Amino acid sequence: MSEFPTVFVIADSPEAFNELVPAAAALGAKTEAIYVGADEAAARRALALGAGRLHVSPARTGQIFEDHADTLAALVKGSGAALVLMRADKRGRAMAAKLGVKLGAAVVNDVSSIEEGVFGHMAYGGLAQAREKPGSPLVIATVAPGTFKAVEMESGDGAVEKLEFIEPKHPIRLRQSKARQASSADIGKAKRLVGVGRGFSKKEDISLAQKLADAIGAEIACSRPIAEGEQWLERERYIGVSGAMVKPDLYLAAGISGQVQHMVGVKDAKTIVVINKDKNAPIFRFADYGIVGDLYKILPALAKALG
Amino acid sequence: MNIIVCCKVVPEEQDIVVKDDGSIDLSRAAAKISQYDLNAIEAAMNLAGEGGQVTALTAGSPKWLESTKIRKDILSRGPHKLEIIMEPALEGALPDATAALLAPACREIGFDLIICGEGSGDLYAQQTGLLLGEMLDIPAINAVSSIAVENGALVVERELEREQEILEMPLPALVCVSSDINTPKIPTMKAILSAAKKPANVREGGEVKSLSEVVSICAPKAAERKNEIVEGDAEEKVDAFIAMLRKVLQG
Ligand SMILES: Cc1cc2nc3c(=O)[nH]c(=O)nc-3n(C[C@H](O)[C@H](O)[C@H](O)COP(=O)(O)OP(=O)(O)OC[C@H]3O[C@@H](n4cnc5c(N)ncnc54)[C@H](O)[C@@H]3O)c2cc1C
Repeated sequence: MSEFPTVFVIADSPEAFNELVPAAAALGAKTEAIYVGADEAAARRALALGAGRLHVSPARTGQIFEDHADTLAALVKGSGAALVLMRADKRGRAMAAKLGVKLGAAVVNDVSSIEEGVFGHMAYGGLAQAREKPGSPLVIATVAPGTFKAVEMESGDGAVEKLEFIEPKHPIRLRQSKARQASSADIGKAKRLVGVGRGFSKKEDISLAQKLADAIGAEIACSRPIAEGEQWLERERYIGVSGAMVKPDLYLAAGISGQVQHMVGVKDAKTIVVINKDKNAPIFRFADYGIVGDLYKILPALAKALG
Repeated sequence: MNIIVCCKVVPEEQDIVVKDDGSIDLSRAAAKISQYDLNAIEAAMNLAGEGGQVTALTAGSPKWLESTKIRKDILSRGPHKLEIIMEPALEGALPDATAALLAPACREIGFDLIICGEGSGDLYAQQTGLLLGEMLDIPAINAVSSIAVENGALVVERELEREQEILEMPLPALVCVSSDINTPKIPTMKAILSAAKKPANVREGGEVKSLSEVVSICAPKAAERKNEIVEGDAEEKVDAFIAMLRKVLQG
């Protein structure tokens, strides 16, 4: 038996349907997809993936995805939908909150499981798993990437309906939008990772970690402040509750203090090796092997010995 | 410019104890300002400049908010006054319940702009600010990495997963800022001393009501680790460490 009668999937990028539409089809009796954007042809994959219908709210110049909230709310409102799924990215979370208030629906973000009406997600920096039971007839959930199995699909046939745009009461004007360069990094696939933290005092010094990484065939990863805030490395490289969850054979962390929010991202690493000059740094509790000392001295020695 | 900055007081992560049955014990945890709300406070102070008025607004249980130390900590970061919504039922409250109490308080205090952090250190639902904006029926947006006022409108930069945006928002508005926006300053001695003289007002909370119920919060067992640590970075110590690493690499 399906858990929910009708499930809507909302996406601003067609690829998001690959994971969310099959998930919705598994959870609900009926699936409908909503796409906001300019590439209707690519969005048609939602039909091939199992959506009974595709609604399209075409992208509008000078407006952003979030400005479509009233349009989407009007569609979902009368539909009898019990669940709306979106990707747990920044836009997804913004839209989820807007729809939640407009529709009187409970919102659950970064959901990693849905079972018998109970939604699971992390709490306390990843230390714990919370299970939440929404009591409203409609639930809006943003789904953590990788929660459900993605299915690759090209395009499909079926009913496509254009939505009538409802002008928001307080439109936000888009002055400029710039695509971010896709990162070449895929730390999720690497067998070995060298993690860079705030113990590095400047961007150039990351070359010390890079030399070791080259010597042992590892990819560079980092803590969140190195990617966000300092912006020394791409965001795709940071590990943790709000970043990448990885399972390498070896994680070698240098100059990282070991806060829960970071360590939860490597809890399934086979071996954790730590370099930190502070003997009391919490990261030593997570270490298989470690050395209390200066990374500026130790990293070059390692690169030389292992190269 | 009249700015309200919302900040949450949360348990210090380092002090959280996981019990054998996986339950979470917060009784020994110290109170701290949620990490990303420090960015929000800093952003409010920077935008307000000399002439602006900044009110810090926090909602939570007396367990965290009764302490004068934490109140002073908030005020030492710059805000001119502190408004506190204190309700025992706010302990562990979900974002919709918190936002519903923040909204009337914001209306009463009055504002041109509300600034929130990206998400709290405990639940990190990244919702409270956005829900609050929607409940107040004002334009609200998240992931903001820079803010400025131009001709009476707010101009914000937004850092998203796949793009960067520059947006113009009419005021009053609400923004949730990311940690990209600034590096919070450590309060000076002078700021700490003057914080004691600033007003902190405790207000009626009201009913704490959420659409959802927390069924359980449970910590999974952490993996056992070998914990073989070399102390010191003299040459022979580094050599011993290299030997360990060699073994690991050989698999
Ligand atoms: C809601 C929330 C979500 C978060 N999500 C994440 C996340 O997903 N990922 C993440 O990483 N963080 C996350 N954080 C941030 C996290 O709490 C920490 O602030 C962050 O991980 C600290 O990064 P760090 O270890 O690099 O820096 P620090 O904590 O500053 O540690 C630097 C370490 O380097 C050591 N050091 C300094 N100099 C040297 C030297 N010369 N040689 C050797 N060691 C040296 C120091 O002893 C120290 O231990 C989150 C925080 C919150 C509140």
